Amino acid sequence: MRIFTLACSLAALIVASPLSAQTLNVASAGDQNMVDYVKDYLGPMFEKAHPGVKVVSVGTGPGDAGSQKIYEKLDAQKGSPTTDFDVVVIHQKGAGQMVKEGLLAKYTANVETAKLATGDAAKNALGTDVSGFVIPMFQSQTALAYNADMLKTPPATFAELADWVKKNPKQFGYNGIKGGMSGVSFVAGWVYAFGGDADKLIKGPYDAATKASWDKAFADLKEFNKNAVITPGNAGTLDMLNRGEIAIGPVWVDMFYSWQADGKLPPNMKLKLVSPGMPGQPMYYAVPEKSAQKKLAEAFIALATSPQVQADGIVKKFNWYPGIDAKNLEGKLDKAAWDKLFTDVTPADLSQNGKPFPIAPYFNDILEGYERKVAN
Amino acid sequence: MIRVASGFRMLLAAFALAAFAFFLIGPLVNLALWSVAERWYTPYKLPVVYGTRYWEQVFRPTGDAMASLATSVWIAVLTVLVALALSIPAGYALARLRLPARAFFMILFLLPQAFPSVAIYINVARVFYQLGINGTVFAVVLVHAAHGLVYSVWIAAAAFAAVDKDLELAARNIGASPFKTFTSVTLPLAAPGIVASGIFVFLESLDEFTGTFFVGVPQVTTLPLLLYNAAMGGNYQVASITALILLVPSVLFMLFIERFLRADVLAKVGA
Amino acid sequence: MSLSQRHLALLLIAPGFALVAALFLYPLCFSLISAFTGPQGGFSLQAFAKAWELYSGDIVFTVVIVVASCLLTALLAIVIAGTLTLGENRYIVGTLKALYRWPLFIPFIVAAQCMRTFLAKNGLMNNTFVSLGLMEPLQAVSFLDWRGIIATFVWKQTPFVALLLAGALASIDRATLEAGRNLGASRLRVLVELALPQVMPQLLVALVLSFVTMLSVLSVPMMVAGSQPTMLTVDMAFRINAYGDYATANALGVITYLISAGAAIIYLKRGMSKEGTP
Repeated sequence: MRIFTLACSLAALIVASPLSAQTLNVASAGDQNMVDYVKDYLGPMFEKAHPGVKVVSVGTGPGDAGSQKIYEKLDAQKGSPTTDFDVVVIHQKGAGQMVKEGLLAKYTANVETAKLATGDAAKNALGTDVSGFVIPMFQSQTALAYNADMLKTPPATFAELADWVKKNPKQFGYNGIKGGMSGVSFVAGWVYAFGGDADKLIKGPYDAATKASWDKAFADLKEFNKNAVITPGNAGTLDMLNRGEIAIGPVWVDMFYSWQADGKLPPNMKLKLVSPGMPGQPMYYAVPEKSAQKKLAEAFIALATSPQVQADGIVKKFNWYPGIDAKNLEGKLDKAAWDKLFTDVTPADLSQNGKPFPIAPYFNDILEGYERKVAN
Repeated sequence: MIRVASGFRMLLAAFALAAFAFFLIGPLVNLALWSVAERWYTPYKLPVVYGTRYWEQVFRPTGDAMASLATSVWIAVLTVLVALALSIPAGYALARLRLPARAFFMILFLLPQAFPSVAIYINVARVFYQLGINGTVFAVVLVHAAHGLVYSVWIAAAAFAAVDKDLELAARNIGASPFKTFTSVTLPLAAPGIVASGIFVFLESLDEFTGTFFVGVPQVTTLPLLLYNAAMGGNYQVASITALILLVPSVLFMLFIERFLRADVLAKVGA
Repeated sequence: MSLSQRHLALLLIAPGFALVAALFLYPLCFSLISAFTGPQGGFSLQAFAKAWELYSGDIVFTVVIVVASCLLTALLAIVIAGTLTLGENRYIVGTLKALYRWPLFIPFIVAAQCMRTFLAKNGLMNNTFVSLGLMEPLQAVSFLDWRGIIATFVWKQTPFVALLLAGALASIDRATLEAGRNLGASRLRVLVELALPQVMPQLLVALVLSFVTMLSVLSVPMMVAGSQPTMLTVDMAFRINAYGDYATANALGVITYLISAGAAIIYLKRGMSKEGTP
């Protein structure tokens, strides 16, 4: 039977695939759920409103690596008249780089919904001014996930966590800085907590001498690592939490909720956003400068950032914090769905302890400092 | 007494085989379990809820698993043909003829496997964009063939080297031309090894996703790309299902090839 | 004659060479240039200095992992291929034959996926042992570190080596082996002293190819083990994704290639000193 199906699809492929009149290529740097979000939810909705248009959704892999791949692809096409991608969904670091290198179009003036996103994230990506080039798709945040059965009162600050880990060796796990941003976020949070002036790292200006002041923080982190488990990536941390191999570890809030909804985490897992804070970041919708379908791309993004789609798709379906300002979602969403977002991490926690990542040069200094002083 | 000893040895062998089977099959069973696990969390040793929800998700109407699979298989088959077409002459030259700088060529073919860098694919994509062939199956096949060539060239060279020279000489002595000797004596004798190398090229192509991304996406998408996203993102169910789907063409290809390799099958492989 | 044969040889190898030259040699030049260029332009070994400074531990780790995996793979492949060739119990041979190939078909990324849930502390393997009463739950340890990487590599590569080796063993002259058996040598001795020396070249080809393949796999070290220490492919990806630093990544690539070229040269030298062909 399967051979038959296979033969059929193979034959169909060879004969020809009918091309739609217009194709809108959407590339998402992110997990499969983001690719499917476009493929199953936004795409069909957009195709219905624009007959004859076909939306193709491709994923480039999770994390900054995914954005880097989009960047590389656009960069390779510098010499071509048009690019393969019409809409790209990218991280902050990638967005900053692509804007600087002129790979993105300044499009938000043509999109009505851009006015609904007024937060800092819509203008500033790790120190690069990106206003006009991006609209946030959603916001996400890292926090510590813990097993409430194994840990009754979770640490509330980084200092308490360090003490707790000393007393409970190999019960805390994170992925270092390779293989996932949740670990990177933890390290950035550690430097915010113990490396001096966190605000300066977030707002700038950059001063190359600052990194010398983190030596003690890194030395402590190296000591801390002896009692920590290094997990393989974002998913690795969640997986170890799921198996009860570690009791606490940094995770992305949205991944945490979808894993829990999928039954891949015990029901008694909870989140805690420790002070002085851990970073979070938005994903951006952007349009490549040489997209052949700019008008369609803008229409697509307008749909994707409309309050109704943000309420139904972003918040309700995927547990992401909305990309546009929350007040625009009022009345579009039932209270239960909204409250679910804030079960463990309250809006107050978020505003106090949800931080951006450091500006790009400090960000690189932190990563390289970690490689130099903690890992090697 | 001897009987007891041999019985004991039998038992030992059976035990060793069972342990071997466990380590071999265990991970695969694990994979199969994950593909039907809807809920599975600690402290449960087996999935809490079984179901086909994720199978439905992979095969949903808007999903393109089957189309990607067909593309993947089609590309893999073409890659095998291209790789074999290039490696049969190259392997013969390496094994039989006095090729200058032989070691250089051998190591050269190793290069695409041994220098793993996306940087290379970016530059390849740049060239392909200029040629206007980016985003075609042809481009993807070329990249996969270059990548898999080390298997087919090295194994073909070894297979040709193993062919008995006396047989070739005998053919020449009865008046066959060098070309005729090659097609009627050398090639058939080396064929099993060469054909077997096709298996590895096929598998290599089915495994590849970085090159595919740079020269194929978005016009050409293959199943490993989907698998890569799912696996990296920790979506175990979708990754497991995709993996199981990929297993089908691999096994079919192996069975197909095996019909061409009779009893002494791989006898000459790598010799 | 000799001259024309050389020409013919070059002609025959030309198409394959052209493909690799166009798709790898040419783009590789850019990589090499970037690896040897300093931040201010001009020739510099700075990228290599940085690669060594930050990743010396990982370079050693990578070599150790790959060499250890190759040795274990060789050992297991010899046992499997030996059993297939010399085994006398046809049930055992039959079962083995039906079983051993399966991992061959599993892509590395899937193998990594399988292993990370199989080898975990509370993974399927330890759970099975606990359920069978072979182990106390408290004794369970996680294998998701260097051991996990080696286990995954060996699991995935053994069938490849065993397949080539079993083929080679099947082709050697049975008479010598029978003679050895008749003289009272154990099967193990026949395998090690009579059969193996004859198939050494095949074993080495398979091992060199495995060596190179393992060196270039990203998904296994990334998904199976934590990142400290880790293998060079992960560092390379990290250099690019986190810093956009292609120079150091390419320097690491050059180092990786030198390691695999080293393995290939050892193999080629051996082949040539023997009889001019591998």
